[in-house]
Amino acid sequence: MPLIELRGITRWYRNGRVVINALSDIDLAVGKGEFVTIMGPSGSGKSTLLNIIGCLDRPSGGEYILDGMRVERLSDDKLSEIRNRYIGFVFQSFHLLPGLDAMGNAELPLIYRGVGAAERRRRVRQALEAVGLSDRIHHKPSELSGGEQQRVAIARALAQEPLLILADEPTGALDSKTGRTIMELFRKLNAERGITIIMVTHDRDMARYGHRIVKLLDGRIKEEELVG
Amino acid sequence: MRFIFGAQMAWHGVAVNPLRSGLTMLGVAIGVASVISLMGIGEGARLAVVRQFESLGSNVIVIKAHDAKAEFQPEEARELVERVSGLRYASPVTRTNAVMKWRRARGQVDILGVSSDFPQLRDHKLVSGRFFTPWHVEQRSPVAVLGYNIGAGLLGGRSPVGQTVTLNGQTFRIVGVLEKKGEGQGEGIDDKIIIPYTTAMKIAGKRTVDEIWVKAESAKAADLAIAQLGRIYRRKLGLDNKAPVPTGGEQKQGETPGEGPGTGKPVEPKPAPAPETPGKDSTPGLELGKDIITITNLNTLVEEADKANRVMTLLLGGIAAVSLLVGGLGIMNIMLVAVTERTGEIGVRRALGAKRSDLLMQFLLEALYLSGMGAAAGTAAGLWGVGIFNRYGLTAVVSLEAVKVAVLVALGCGLLFGVYPAWTAASVPPVEALRR
Repeated sequence: MPLIELRGITRWYRNGRVVINALSDIDLAVGKGEFVTIMGPSGSGKSTLLNIIGCLDRPSGGEYILDGMRVERLSDDKLSEIRNRYIGFVFQSFHLLPGLDAMGNAELPLIYRGVGAAERRRRVRQALEAVGLSDRIHHKPSELSGGEQQRVAIARALAQEPLLILADEPTGALDSKTGRTIMELFRKLNAERGITIIMVTHDRDMARYGHRIVKLLDGRIKEEELVG
Repeated sequence: MRFIFGAQMAWHGVAVNPLRSGLTMLGVAIGVASVISLMGIGEGARLAVVRQFESLGSNVIVIKAHDAKAEFQPEEARELVERVSGLRYASPVTRTNAVMKWRRARGQVDILGVSSDFPQLRDHKLVSGRFFTPWHVEQRSPVAVLGYNIGAGLLGGRSPVGQTVTLNGQTFRIVGVLEKKGEGQGEGIDDKIIIPYTTAMKIAGKRTVDEIWVKAESAKAADLAIAQLGRIYRRKLGLDNKAPVPTGGEQKQGETPGEGPGTGKPVEPKPAPAPETPGKDSTPGLELGKDIITITNLNTLVEEADKANRVMTLLLGGIAAVSLLVGGLGIMNIMLVAVTERTGEIGVRRALGAKRSDLLMQFLLEALYLSGMGAAAGTAAGLWGVGIFNRYGLTAVVSLEAVKVAVLVALGCGLLFGVYPAWTAASVPPVEALRR
């Protein structure tokens, strides 16, 4: 059974009288432990698709099955819980809270899960070590470089021990060298820990770190391509 | 667990922007401080008046003749205690003045002539010596009890009991000194000399007294006694129901149904016993606007003064409450700005698994912190303000009730005006929040 299964997913927005079809009729299955990249020009619906997979947005039609659960009709609170337990997010602009240090940022999801302080600290320390930031635990985002900030964001996702990491242009705001170290980190996490990764990018080089590339155009899957 | 964390996060929201939080709190603080200090002034004014009246003695009824022909025999005081139920002490009162000589100094002093019931009657205590006795009164003894200021002034603080002073050339033995009542309290008793009324009448050269004081056992007894006293003096003046028609003497008709100098009960003819319409016109005394005898219950004076001041306190409190409300609106304003500004943060938190209730709680607690700290600061400032008022001569007291109300209203404002922004924050869909 695949971890993620999308059947006939559509998403449209109404903008005044105009209806915009962001996604139409998407069928996609991602197995446990896969590393999938979604590519496509801007406006092709990559981010919308990622948001739906991440339970941040609901599809207008179709079925979404995550780890055997029908997700699209769940309550708002239930979706929050699913995001919290299953899904780690890594964003292009990092989305760290500026007032909190690395530790504070990385422990946020565990706090919402209700994990006790000691256990939280332990797991966050491990996660920060895994991304190579053991010496930056008490630095605030403004005291960290772009690459370091993105690694804090990855540590935040790792501390959740998620089934799935969703990355939306994770290297978009970084120079290519830093970008490659981030991609190496993803590859390592995928290979060593078996975390499923779905990443959106428009950079072909970065896309080649994954196993499979899904190409979108105008809200539809144009073609799929296996890497290597 | 989640709650503790929500509390921490909310604290963080306050601490991350100290200037803005501080200004918001200032609004609430000013509101709370003004409620506490203004109510304090109102309450202080009320208490000052009440205290002044209370210093006159409780349950005291003053019977006063305003016409020489209606004056009382001193013996009437004792008779009243026997005739009217509920009365415990009575004293005829003579006021006069005399030239006092003490060693080489001399000066004019006010003399108060009373019976030996005086200390119990007007709730006075003595700091030194004793009050004169019925025997002294009977004997017209030249003994004197000094008001506190006079007593303290003679020997520079040492007790003058046992010494003598002369009043109008007659030598008086000082037997006691009254306790201090305070400036303006107890009809300025601190600056008077109290002697037996018999002795005082001799100094004044009078055979009658124009005032009688009686004290009732309780406030209720005072109310009942007033009615009974009214009947007694109405009859005495020939204004009894059975004999309503004036028979000549001016003093028998010079009654107005209106108010006396106090709010006591002037002896007055009831309108009912004079049914004939011309009868009304034929009593010219009514138009004189002067009471012959007034009977005043001092308790009612206290109540009236208290009531008037209560209204003022409420008015001041109302004005202050408006500023408190404005402070509360400030919280709403700032929280709405915070929600708009922090939409990104809201999105991140939602993505990481925060439920709507988590955000609702966080923003609500933030508003409560602001109002709570504002209320704390305002209370401190209000108490300080009350202290300042007192130092510069305004009587102000800390009314616990005002503190309670102000703090509760401030917290209520925080809660009330925090709900809407918090709800807005919780209702932004995560995708949209992240996009901003």
